[in-house]
Amino acid sequence: MKRSLLPIVILIIVLVFLYLPIVVLSLNSFNASRFSGTWDGFTLKWYSTLMQDRTIWQALVNSLIIATFATIGSCIIGTTAALALNRWQTRLQTLHNALIYTPLVVPEILMGMSLLLLFTALKIDCGRHTILLAHITFCVSFVAMTVLARLQDFDTSLIEAGRDLGATAFQAFIKIQLPLLMPGIIAGGLLAFTLSVDDFVITFFVSGPGSTTLPLRVYSMIKHSRQMPVINALSTLLLAVTFLAVIASRLLQIKRVSRSHPFISTTIGGTNK
Amino acid sequence: MNHKRLHEWIVSLPSLFWMVAFFAVPTLLVFALSFRPADTLGGIGAGWTLQTWSHLSNPNYPSIIWRTIWISLAATVICILLALPCAYAMARAPVRWRAILTTLIILPFWTNFLIRVFAWRQLLHPNGPLKQILVSIGIITPDTLLLYNSGAVLLVSVYSFLPFAILPIYAAAEKFDFSLLEAARDLGARSMRAFISVFIPGIRRGLISAALMVFIPALGSYVIPDLVGGPTSELLGNKIAQRTFFDRNLPHASALSALLAAGVLIPLALLALAMRKRPNERGGVGSDRKKS
Amino acid sequence: MSAFVSFKNVTKRFETLTAVDNVSLDIEKGEVFSLLGPSGCGKTTLLRMLAGLETPDSGRVILDGQDITNLPPNLRRVHTIFQNYALFPHMTVWDNIAFPLRVARYPKQEIARRVKGILELIRLGDHDYKYPSQISGGQKQRVAIARALVDQPQVLLLDEPLAALDLKLRQHMLLELDLIHDKVGITFLYVTHDQGEAMSLSDRIAVMNNGRIEQIDPPAKIYEAPRSSFVAAFIGDTNFLQGHVTSISHDYCNLAIVGLTSSVKSYNDKAIRAGSMVHLSVRPEKIHIAKTPPEFKDDLADKINLFSGVVEDIVYQGSHTKYWVKVGAHRIVTNMPHMRFQLDQEEITWGDSVALWWHADDAFMLEQFHATDAALIDPPAQYEEDVEIFRGTGNEP
Repeated sequence: MKRSLLPIVILIIVLVFLYLPIVVLSLNSFNASRFSGTWDGFTLKWYSTLMQDRTIWQALVNSLIIATFATIGSCIIGTTAALALNRWQTRLQTLHNALIYTPLVVPEILMGMSLLLLFTALKIDCGRHTILLAHITFCVSFVAMTVLARLQDFDTSLIEAGRDLGATAFQAFIKIQLPLLMPGIIAGGLLAFTLSVDDFVITFFVSGPGSTTLPLRVYSMIKHSRQMPVINALSTLLLAVTFLAVIASRLLQIKRVSRSHPFISTTIGGTNK
Repeated sequence: MNHKRLHEWIVSLPSLFWMVAFFAVPTLLVFALSFRPADTLGGIGAGWTLQTWSHLSNPNYPSIIWRTIWISLAATVICILLALPCAYAMARAPVRWRAILTTLIILPFWTNFLIRVFAWRQLLHPNGPLKQILVSIGIITPDTLLLYNSGAVLLVSVYSFLPFAILPIYAAAEKFDFSLLEAARDLGARSMRAFISVFIPGIRRGLISAALMVFIPALGSYVIPDLVGGPTSELLGNKIAQRTFFDRNLPHASALSALLAAGVLIPLALLALAMRKRPNERGGVGSDRKKS
Repeated sequence: MSAFVSFKNVTKRFETLTAVDNVSLDIEKGEVFSLLGPSGCGKTTLLRMLAGLETPDSGRVILDGQDITNLPPNLRRVHTIFQNYALFPHMTVWDNIAFPLRVARYPKQEIARRVKGILELIRLGDHDYKYPSQISGGQKQRVAIARALVDQPQVLLLDEPLAALDLKLRQHMLLELDLIHDKVGITFLYVTHDQGEAMSLSDRIAVMNNGRIEQIDPPAKIYEAPRSSFVAAFIGDTNFLQGHVTSISHDYCNLAIVGLTSSVKSYNDKAIRAGSMVHLSVRPEKIHIAKTPPEFKDDLADKINLFSGVVEDIVYQGSHTKYWVKVGAHRIVTNMPHMRFQLDQEEITWGDSVALWWHADDAFMLEQFHATDAALIDPPAQYEEDVEIFRGTGNEP
């Protein structure tokens, strides 16, 4: 049966559509012209301007600090949430489930607005701590979801085997369940870290003086500054970091998996046996 | 038995407490505060009032709400129309290609949202490359504005949310048994007919979640209209931010947010009731699960 | 002498289902004891209660004189081989086997010594650095056994340990399990739905059905002298005949069987009185088939049940051929091995009139009979009319 080529053509057009703006933006970061429409030759001057802008680096530090703590916090809370959701099937867990899943489908602006109202009502001044609280809140759902997916594939007879062979409930959790859950927790943590570093809308609502994160800084540059090429340079750097991170994590994942968890690599690669 | 309950509470407590304190309570606060007056310092006044809600009948708002809905709907329809053939092509690609294609689709999603919007702002800018190309081939005149209108908002929305539409449809399409399509062809259906009456129903769940994944964030969209839209293409999200940051009228912003929350949560709750099959929805649906 | 493992009136319910229904059971020290039954009969639940993975709703579980009913699994010196082996995928073969010793805080040297010793027993000394995914099914099985034996438990529980293996490997592992039992000599409790496994491995078998024990006996007695129709039908193939006693002489009785015109003689060890209702089970391999029966001498002729019938179905099964013969209202199934002296006889084919005979000692009187158990015997009779057109090829097992 002959298959239509139309879907493949559309897929290619969509891929071009997805990457074109990013490519143009990166090219322009090396463009000597102020305006993206004309090419005045290759330059690195926007990058050197960027390097000298201390506010950007301060914003980056803020972002990384917040993301680190948000990742740790959401990993702990998200993992316990997943454990509870997976283990019990009571009315309490139905409520718990709703509380974990609804934030995933609520528009960001709503969450930002509601948290701002909470902090205003409690007379808490906004700053890095409020951003951290907000970030943990939206990251918990993603971590819980990722860990839960792994838990649902988890073979509970492994825990039983551990108990049967003499391990206490706590030993079985530490020595068997936690190590096997680790890839899920790490994946959830990476997701949380990325979401935290990336978030603009919620952060925008709950930020205060001195707590400018990188996206907030980028936004104000886009909104107010005329130094568009500098933003291009910054964006290109961020893109490069993201792309490298994604590629590295893909490669690393495959390697790490094949070393310490060969059972995954055999199901993926199918060549080990 | 009691010991078991205690154990359950201890494990559930951290997340339960956190989500109640920082998600459930603030969301309810949005509804509650919309009935409070604003005070002059930008805080929340004492007492209760319906005044804020009556302000929403201001002719400005219905048009904004209407625009928010139609742009979101249009973005959803366009995204799904584009995502369907893409997901189909991906699911039918050789296995080693699928992982590469999925990564290619996800990659833009991993880049910062602001940067993607900014890239379009530059592309569509009066001094940008797209404008110059279109003018030189004579499709538009030099004084046509590509930026700061509803068209730009729609375009960038589609761009931003397209991966969210492709991935769930692809996930469903990958599990689809394509021999069913061949069976339909074998039984005499034309290929388009087979696609519509066999493939589409087969990936129904993927389509529904794709629609939600686009429509909901589009409804609450703020950055896109703010950066590539103009005064004539403001959406609900812009108004919420304006009331919060420029007028510092929190009750007013609350009322608008409550409207948005109701617009998102009520259809979702209805959908959840209608489907009642999500793997993680337990309790009341236990009897259903046993049957399947 | 009191038993090593005892279940005393143990009951376990899951919601509305009674998985184990008032079961009492004694297992001797050093014995290989099998729980045999169809899936859902409660055999695994019983095993899990000894392991400590389930707690009985009522009744006691005794191990070596100690009541362990409510003891958590880690405090019992009882280890389980799980159906899927449950090897820890993130640990090497070595670490898997060392696990029980480590959680029990054995000294390092002792751990190394013991793991090494047991690896030799299961002949996997060269594979200690590998992960479970890198070894074969049979090797996984041996690692699971080693892991369960390394700290010398009082009882080894085996939950369908061979179910995941293919036929050849299964036979090999059966021999190996037997060998291991000879070497370590500890008590085995073996759960299976496969009668062949239970037969070849066990000292005694408990046949379970619907949460109850139907019969506990050595394998030969289970097969030759089933107490109930369930046991007779679940273990091997059989023919059920229903009738009542017409007369009794010495150890034998004459029976009038429903659906057969002439009477049937049977050995009578149950002190049955004339007139009482009985059910007979006759194994197919006890029934002879030929076109013409041989001459029986007087004293033998007295104990032979001889019938004539028409062949309805024939299935060649390699080691033997299975015949379904219409006798009166019954379809009697019989197995004949292929041997030289039979080839000299005329070949039997569909529609032939044949003679069937069996010795009165070879039929067995059942104490309990449930008509539904007859469905456990594989019944091609029902398909006979429908699949007429496929008869040439459709009868393979």
